[in-house]
Amino acid sequence: MKQEVIEKSVPISSPQKIVRKTELKRTLKPILYMLPALIIYITVIVIPTFYTFYLSLFEWNGVSVEKIFVGFGNYINLFTNDTVFLKGLKNNVIWTVLSLVFSMGFALLLALMLNKSFKGRALFRAVFYFPFILSNIVVAIIWVWIYHPNMGLLNELLNKVGIDSIPWLADPKIALYAVFIAATWQHVGSSMVIFLAGLQSMSKEPFEAAKVDGANSFQAFYNITLPLLRETFIIVFATTLFYSMRVFDIIYAMTGGGPSHSTQVLASWMYYQGFTLNNVGTGSAISMILLFLVMIIAVPYILWQGKKSHV
Amino acid sequence: MKKLKPSRLLFYIFITSFALVWLIPVFFLFLTSLKSNGDLFGNPLYALPEEFQWGNFVEAWKEGNLGMYMKNSLIISVIKVPLGIFVAALAAFGLTRLNFKWEKPVYLFIILGMTIPFQACLVPLVIMLNKVNLMDTHVGLIFIYIGFGIPMATLILYGFFKGIPNELDEAARIDGCSDLFLFLRIILPVALPAISTLVILDFLATWNEFLLAQIFLTSDELKTITTGIMSFKGEYSTNYPLMMSGVLLSVLPVLLVYLIFQKHFVNGFGGAVKG
Repeated sequence: MKQEVIEKSVPISSPQKIVRKTELKRTLKPILYMLPALIIYITVIVIPTFYTFYLSLFEWNGVSVEKIFVGFGNYINLFTNDTVFLKGLKNNVIWTVLSLVFSMGFALLLALMLNKSFKGRALFRAVFYFPFILSNIVVAIIWVWIYHPNMGLLNELLNKVGIDSIPWLADPKIALYAVFIAATWQHVGSSMVIFLAGLQSMSKEPFEAAKVDGANSFQAFYNITLPLLRETFIIVFATTLFYSMRVFDIIYAMTGGGPSHSTQVLASWMYYQGFTLNNVGTGSAISMILLFLVMIIAVPYILWQGKKSHV
Repeated sequence: MKKLKPSRLLFYIFITSFALVWLIPVFFLFLTSLKSNGDLFGNPLYALPEEFQWGNFVEAWKEGNLGMYMKNSLIISVIKVPLGIFVAALAAFGLTRLNFKWEKPVYLFIILGMTIPFQACLVPLVIMLNKVNLMDTHVGLIFIYIGFGIPMATLILYGFFKGIPNELDEAARIDGCSDLFLFLRIILPVALPAISTLVILDFLATWNEFLLAQIFLTSDELKTITTGIMSFKGEYSTNYPLMMSGVLLSVLPVLLVYLIFQKHFVNGFGGAVKG
């Protein structure tokens, strides 16, 4: 139907002309298709990132016309004078390690359980994945209510079995871990699903062979499942890491970084410095440090992704 | 019927208790939203409501302006999601199917954006939107959302387009197909599974986004459901039943999408991330 129209629209010209024309077309046409995405991407992400780096070299309140150039002064100041920044950095590290050990471990355990075929499997899968569809803000509101010092469900249950109430989010020593539990509740499902996809794409042959050779299920898991899951592991590892380094919403909504900055992380401290305290230079420096930390891991990961999808 | 083996039974007990613990927060949310304030303070928290207060939902809907916030979120999502995916699909098509010389460097350049935290762009974006008078508008926020969505969408679509056999293109070209026709009528329809997964994920991410909406929309009548529920929570910080009714209502659209497209989530998500 439409093909005839298109055939007619192709102009007839000399072979030489066609060759030159197609060569030019070959370089220009693809760029034309990429142009909208590239323009938006560069405007929204690339230029602002460089501009933030530029701003991080100044002392500026975001409003005044004058910016004072301080070189790397903001960075030096953060590492030498800003105890909250250092606390935030430490919290990011704690959060990341906890996520990589507990959330990933739990997600793998769930995925292994759900990889068997049994009645109600889909239902269980849906239950564990469900919190992931909620916004961080909704999860925060629910868990702040659960953690409520006098009226929360958790303390009421503890009192019931004779344990005194614990001020979950008000105690600087445990607040970060309390928020972490809420975040884990929300995120385990997504890692679980990636693990499940990895498990289900495995062929059955090596397992059957192992069975013939008399391997028990633990040996099979250790010698076959884990090595075959390598690629999936890298994906979950990387996504967990990126999320942990950039964690913001749930902390902002649950504790606002308090009590006494005990739950502050780099992203939330950047927000307060840049947008609440109007120290744009300092805020920009924090986000550059955050970016640098993420990039150390991200660049090798992205290169690996690129190589993989190029097969 | 076969009798359950003890190990199977143990497994069921184990996983069911896990699932029940997982559901406690949601169950608790429901329970609170259906109580009156007096009931909440007078009786144990885990007790069923003395009387089901369905009126809480009506009140929360009205008091919290949830209809307005949801409408805003819906407008933003309905424009952002298709537009963002279309732009990314165009790029992925240009990268994978037109013998582009710098395919790999440009692809890596784009997906590198996935790792850049919002925070690293915020201040310049505020300055930029102020300059073009798009601060505190849906258009401005949608533009920024599309920008941040491009790397992930390109990654997923690039991976999928790569898997479409080239013979399809050749056949189409022999039939005299133009590139645009090839893209619109052949590649896009073939990529429908990837695109539908992307649509759902993107809708979810847009609906749930908080930080950017908080910074780039300041007037109350423009706020999205996530930032709206945050201010609703601030206003009714002591009225837990009302707050929880509002939270529950705000989740409904997402829950609906989840229930309808459940298969896509669980099967598609893993595949999509694997690219």
